Amino acid sequence: MKIGLEVHVALPTKSKLFCACSTDATEPNSSICPICMGFPGSKPMLNRAALDYASNVSRTLGCMPAQMVSFVRKVYFYPDLPKSYQITQLQEPVGVDGSVEISSKKVKIRRIQLEEDPAKIIRESGYTLMDFNRSGIPLLEIVTEPDIASEEELREFLGELRSILYYVGINIEKELKVDLNISLSKARVEVKNVTGIRNLVDAANYEIKRQTELTSKGKEVVQETRSYNEAEVRTESSREKESDEEYGFIFEPDLTSYKLPSSNAKVVLASKVAREYSRKYGAKEKTILELIQFDRESYALMDHAKDKAEMQKIIAVIELLKKYESTGIGNEKFEELLEIAKSGAQINAELIKKVKSGQRVETSSVNLQSIDKEITTMIKNHKELLKEYEKNPKAFNFIVGEVAAKLKANPRDVAIRLRAVLEKGFKD
Amino acid sequence: MEDSDFDRLLKVCRLRLGAQERKRMEADITEIIGYFNTIDNAKVDDLEPSYHPTKISGKLREDKVRPFENPDQLLKGTKTHRFYVVGPDL
Amino acid sequence: MPTTKPNPKFAEELSKLNKKLNFMSVINSSANGKSLFSVKDNLCVKGFESRAGSKILSGYIPPFNATAVQRMLDSGYEFVGKTVMDEFGFGSFGTNTDIVAKNPFDETRVAGGSSSGAAVATAVIKNHVAIAESTGGSISNPASFCGVVGFTPTYGTISRYGLIDYANSLDKVGVMGRRAADIRAAFDRIKGADNYDSTCSDSKISSTPTKKLMIIEQLMKGIDSKVLSSFDLLLSKMQGMGYKVEHASLDIIDKAIPAYYIISMAEASTNLAKYDGYKYGEQGKDFTKKYNDFFCDARSSFGIEAKRRIVLGTFVRSASVKDKYYIKALKFRTALTSKLSSILKDSFLISPTMPTVAPKIDEAAGLSLIKAYSMDSLTIPPNLSGLPHISFPCGYANGMPIGAQLISSHFNDYALLDFVESWEKSFKYEFKYNL
Repeated sequence: MKIGLEVHVALPTKSKLFCACSTDATEPNSSICPICMGFPGSKPMLNRAALDYASNVSRTLGCMPAQMVSFVRKVYFYPDLPKSYQITQLQEPVGVDGSVEISSKKVKIRRIQLEEDPAKIIRESGYTLMDFNRSGIPLLEIVTEPDIASEEELREFLGELRSILYYVGINIEKELKVDLNISLSKARVEVKNVTGIRNLVDAANYEIKRQTELTSKGKEVVQETRSYNEAEVRTESSREKESDEEYGFIFEPDLTSYKLPSSNAKVVLASKVAREYSRKYGAKEKTILELIQFDRESYALMDHAKDKAEMQKIIAVIELLKKYESTGIGNEKFEELLEIAKSGAQINAELIKKVKSGQRVETSSVNLQSIDKEITTMIKNHKELLKEYEKNPKAFNFIVGEVAAKLKANPRDVAIRLRAVLEKGFKD
Repeated sequence: MEDSDFDRLLKVCRLRLGAQERKRMEADITEIIGYFNTIDNAKVDDLEPSYHPTKISGKLREDKVRPFENPDQLLKGTKTHRFYVVGPDL
Repeated sequence: MPTTKPNPKFAEELSKLNKKLNFMSVINSSANGKSLFSVKDNLCVKGFESRAGSKILSGYIPPFNATAVQRMLDSGYEFVGKTVMDEFGFGSFGTNTDIVAKNPFDETRVAGGSSSGAAVATAVIKNHVAIAESTGGSISNPASFCGVVGFTPTYGTISRYGLIDYANSLDKVGVMGRRAADIRAAFDRIKGADNYDSTCSDSKISSTPTKKLMIIEQLMKGIDSKVLSSFDLLLSKMQGMGYKVEHASLDIIDKAIPAYYIISMAEASTNLAKYDGYKYGEQGKDFTKKYNDFFCDARSSFGIEAKRRIVLGTFVRSASVKDKYYIKALKFRTALTSKLSSILKDSFLISPTMPTVAPKIDEAAGLSLIKAYSMDSLTIPPNLSGLPHISFPCGYANGMPIGAQLISSHFNDYALLDFVESWEKSFKYEFKYNL
């Protein structure tokens, strides 16, 4: 079995691909203009941010860096296509020859192209309704080779691709539109416009079953385009559409060739990171991947790990943060939380809230107030140490040692409090 | 051009012609394609195509939202229903 | 800017003459006759029907101004009306549309095309410039037939935003006037980069003069003898003014016409795909029809020439023959542009603008398609290569004006205006009407 995908990803630009209309609108036809409506006389003007995103994705998927990109007109007639041609790419797309690595193989990426979304079309009985808010939203089409051979690989590939896109700032949880090419033997069947991962897997499974049954009955699988019926969980033979012969691609003469901006995106491959951390710190690869696949913050927090034990604590704290749906904790507060966790204290929603809001947290048998009091005394008595602390971290450890010894307190607790007091002191 | 090819071409263009018009059109098209064939022997194959006659610098638009100033005028000549544009059946 | 005292009866007089000569589809009734500009019907003017001479765009009232129109208004010119044209610019005589403009010198003759109305308006209104557009000669041709100056600048010099497209890589907004100075004034106000047209540049426009006039031999075939003798007279006058006239041979120039039609039709067939009867212009009524039937119904409103160009344009860009026609024509453009540019390095190219004076309306209708397409043999080369060119009256034969065309290198547009301004010092243009 061979599955190839054409994944359509909406880019999170503020304005549309070729006009200044907002990409964020709710009321139908409230974010439209002569350009995205294709009015006679209007002309497109390419959005720089869309090109930047495209370049970042191209680089992250390991594509050959394109020198120049240009656009073509793909002509076909459908009520949702305002100009009756779509501005898309052919000869000079934003990227070719990339790949996405999954556990069993590399899924090759044939090409990545930038194009405009048609309008949203709603079929009513006896007419259609169009919302042109969607017309002109920038889409990136990512075309794979038919390298996917099972449902597991399909799921893993989609997870991996979504994670990669997430790390270049494109979250496609909702708007994943895919054309699926699937062939068990010779004939290639294309299932168009499947929305969402769940539907995609269902559509693939349906096609596998359908084609297997046909073959086992000695019938031929027809090479054709089908559509997915979500309600009935099946694919259906679909309308006759233009062929490649008839699209009659021509260079888009209202635009020109553009130099592809060099990408400065940091390439983060979550699965690679998970594998690496797993090897380094002995934690479960799957656990790490789940935490960081679509979570930039958790990925950043894991950077704090110095050894196995600490990584375990970090993972525990991140899991707790996720459990209590607490995001945006920041590095310093996370450190604090980590110290509290290391002291063996129970972390719960209330405690997380306290730490986040900068409140005092009691973490040990020794009264925090007494620690604070002793610290304050120490600082008052050793004002020169305060100055030295700025230059010399050893002074910090000296005070921690003194206070901990005097109160028989956990040095970590003292360290946390001291840091807090000192920082407060600096601010004062 | 074969009759069936010509019909297919008209279909791709979304043009329907009456018998008379079709006949005239087919003759015209054949004549002009014959004329177009005269560029066949131009020795230009090793040249790059000029998509524009002059060099155009690739100007880009910054990603800023600017709503269109006359939104009410856009759908004036259009049949609408609950803010949607009405189109033909599928 | 041409100015004079306002004339309160101007719009009325204009309407009266328009009934006779059919050159405007829309008249701005508040126009009063001072520093006027008209706009070819394929350029959008906010609030005024703009249908590019096509029935299919009936009722299209653009909610925005074309950049050139906006810049004219911002400069204090007054909008006088929309000028008629061949449907979408498809024609050389102004006859491929429902309103056929008549030549002011002889009403039985065509005004030229496709900017027929723009040339007539220029020939009959005194304090006026026409904003027009040329794809393959649509400014030079009617300017020559109607005895006015028609200026087509370098491709991409004036924004095309708001231009209802014919062929985007060939379309150039330009200006017609009664004097080169009027054209220069308008050109200076509307040229320059635009944030709404990716192909419009801010390149510096030069005025590098030359005293060498070059004639391409192959272009001088088939020119009417009256036109030729008028042109020869021009050349001898120019020689008297110190110009050197030289001849060059350029074999490939014959193929400019098919190459031009291939590119222009390929692009046009995509531009015309959007007219399907439910967004703007003429509206379909029966939405219960399946979309392909609905579209076919709407598209039956195209005129026969538009239909021909859609079919031919769709054919030449079909995947299996695209290299043979569309790509080949684009490569030919590379060759032609390079050859012409090298000639233009140290000379102007000069020729008659049209091979004949304006033909009678029925004569034009009787021409075979290829004959009609070949009428623009002299104007197509500079248009295909995006070179600036200007047509100016150089003589009269039996009361009909004859035009000459001067071509210069890319962005040397001012040199053409300089040339014609100096010509106007020794040659007086004739006008039949002076509204």
